[in-house]
Amino acid sequence: MDSVGNVPPKTLTGTFDIVETYHRILEDDPEITMPVAAIEALVELLAQTDAVTVYETLDLIQTQSAFLKMNIPNSIPLQAGTELFQQYILSCLKPSKTSSGNFEAVRQHLVSNGRLFVHRAKNARDMIARHGQNYIRDGNIVLTHGGSRVVGALLRKAADVKRAGGNVRFKVIYVVKDQRSIECRTVIDSLRAKGIPVAEIDEGTVAYAMRKVDMVIVGAEGVVENGGIISRLGTFQIAQLAMAAKKPFYVAVETHKFVREFILSQDDMESDIDQKIIRFEPDYVEDPTPKTPIRNAVDFTPPKYIAALITENGPNVVAAVSEQLIFLYSV
Amino acid sequence: MTPTQKGYAPNLTVFKKSLKAASVETSIENLISLLKRRQIKNSRPCAMATAELLRIVVARDRWTDLGKLIAHIQDVGRRLVEAQPRELAVGNIVRRVLGMIRDEGNEDRKNEGSDSGSATGSPQLEFSIPAPTTTKRPPSSSLRFASTDGVHFTEDRPTTRPPLMTSHTSYAVANNVPVQQSMFNLLSATGSPNLTPSGANSPHGDSTPHPFALSEKMINSTKDLRAEVVNGIEEILDELEQVDDQIAAYALEHIHSNEVILTHSSSVTVYKFLLKAADKRKFTVIIAESYPNDHEETHLAVMGKMKDPESEEEDKETYLKSLQAAGITVILVTDASIFAIMSRVNKVILATHAVIANGGLVAAAGARIIARAAKAHRTPVIVLSGVYKLSPEHPFEFESLIEYGDPGSIVGYEDGTLVEKMEVDNPLYDYVPPDLVDLYITNLGSHAPSYLYRIVADHYKPEDVNFNNPELLF
Repeated sequence: MDSVGNVPPKTLTGTFDIVETYHRILEDDPEITMPVAAIEALVELLAQTDAVTVYETLDLIQTQSAFLKMNIPNSIPLQAGTELFQQYILSCLKPSKTSSGNFEAVRQHLVSNGRLFVHRAKNARDMIARHGQNYIRDGNIVLTHGGSRVVGALLRKAADVKRAGGNVRFKVIYVVKDQRSIECRTVIDSLRAKGIPVAEIDEGTVAYAMRKVDMVIVGAEGVVENGGIISRLGTFQIAQLAMAAKKPFYVAVETHKFVREFILSQDDMESDIDQKIIRFEPDYVEDPTPKTPIRNAVDFTPPKYIAALITENGPNVVAAVSEQLIFLYSV
Repeated sequence: MTPTQKGYAPNLTVFKKSLKAASVETSIENLISLLKRRQIKNSRPCAMATAELLRIVVARDRWTDLGKLIAHIQDVGRRLVEAQPRELAVGNIVRRVLGMIRDEGNEDRKNEGSDSGSATGSPQLEFSIPAPTTTKRPPSSSLRFASTDGVHFTEDRPTTRPPLMTSHTSYAVANNVPVQQSMFNLLSATGSPNLTPSGANSPHGDSTPHPFALSEKMINSTKDLRAEVVNGIEEILDELEQVDDQIAAYALEHIHSNEVILTHSSSVTVYKFLLKAADKRKFTVIIAESYPNDHEETHLAVMGKMKDPESEEEDKETYLKSLQAAGITVILVTDASIFAIMSRVNKVILATHAVIANGGLVAAAGARIIARAAKAHRTPVIVLSGVYKLSPEHPFEFESLIEYGDPGSIVGYEDGTLVEKMEVDNPLYDYVPPDLVDLYITNLGSHAPSYLYRIVADHYKPEDVNFNNPELLF
């Protein structure tokens, strides 16, 4: 490697905007998750940059990741992707038994396999569905919330079991919120198309409905180091109600959403996510709900509420998250 | 357990004897029917019978490569598990054996790899994705690959063993780290030579390069492997025999002078644990009788008539030393007084039937009442369990783990008029959720319930966890 000082600072060719790329990737493929979109954006960055040295590239990735993080309101999920990407490169560069340490090879691999990563991420979802379908037994009523694609895939898989002649008849109670009914709509319609009876309820009805429910399955945007989840606003209260009613609360989530953040309560997210959910107004305002992106607002559910994380590697206890992360970032 | 099992009824001892004469297939069928008829029951006998059977299968069966052997063991295991799905120990032993065979295979291939100085081209390490980092395999290696192919790993694997193509399994196999590295799967360049197994001692003495001895080695290696695997199974059998004593070795750390310990039912593991502690300490043990399924044995145990499990081998009954003789004050109570007496108890020690990956356990009926009462009184609950009882299966429905026994032991059949008018359930087991347990003591040491998943991951290979559930195999 050349000494850094001798190399003229090379920047990006043309006008590459990582934030715009990230948004475009998310829009192009509605099935993609935020961490994977961030990884994809970094892959594009890697393809377009003419940085040659290791240091230059790493520095570029780092600054661009930080820039992306700054410009996205809810940055914790994408942070899972950018950190995984950086850590992967770092671990590959370290010459060891498990790595050749050849930077160019690593770069080539990442640049040329962008679609593969997306494909793997989607496969992970399918695997979660396969593992998760076992949770749903005949006669169960499952409560879910938000438009999680993993949960949708899981429920559809369980419905397929029913169609394949299995004896699983289950019902779904779907907590629907007006602000983002569109994403729920797709899941609900696909379930009804498979013959699963779905009840749509309002968030205020959850406590009332909980007695009928056998289990709660939700998705997550990110899983933090202690095993707690960052998920759509309203998940936390459902988790609390489920625990009060002694109903198991499962989280279906891919391992690439594990993120090295240690969040203990809602307040801890504020440095990363400024949601402006609670606004104190001295005077009467016409519409008390904030205009800011409530559609994407999230909350944090502590690990003690979570019975198990259903990942592509099978059901995991929450304690396994920290172990995986520590191992990953100590390489 | 019941007197009828002695004498003519076949049990573990009879089964072990029959293994010597009967053919492999007869023995498999034999064990299946013994399991179905509950003539072999409880974790330890089931685990021993399974290990004994698998030893015969490995030793006598004709197999030419490990792939076929794995497929066969999976098949036998599946049949055994189907015969008695609630005896989780059966599946555990099958998984242990499978994992061991895979290890042998890996080590063996690594040896060859070091011989030819390149990455091996075995099916498990072949990947669908072309990896840019793959170094060119030297020409000699492809030759070697072709020649050893038929001996160890055939390309056309049997259908019962689905290809291990997902990146995470192959990666995990290669590195012997089941869970941890899986987060890199998303990005990993699977198939790079750097994923060849690393570290670990070779089973054969000749790990030094021996290019000319290769052909000779190929002939010997099946024999070697067979011996290795049989040895491994014998190690498991040894472990099963020693496990209670190993657990008992931790007794002094947990039982202190003048403590009051509560336990229930008649478990040899707990009994030996208490006896060990009694060598040095004086304490009181309260035993709940666990009516109606185990009270007779419990009464006998309290009277100092606890059968020594090893005595079964020699057809003559010997008894363990009685608790009283060891200097322990023993109090027998009914199950109804558990809550009342809990305020005086310092520690609860429970035996278990099976432990599941989430840290919960399946134990003799009554265990959950005790654990709940202990929770209410903030009394620590310690569970004694051999590692062979740890199951990687995740219970999707706890009710399915509970076995129901003879209702006649609650309401006798002579009470016909009553039996006709009501339904009598006699659950043999209880599910105790992980939050009611404070500590597990296994033959490996003490663990928090939240840490059990790690022990599980250390003992079973991820690709074997669902061997009896083909849908989850990849």
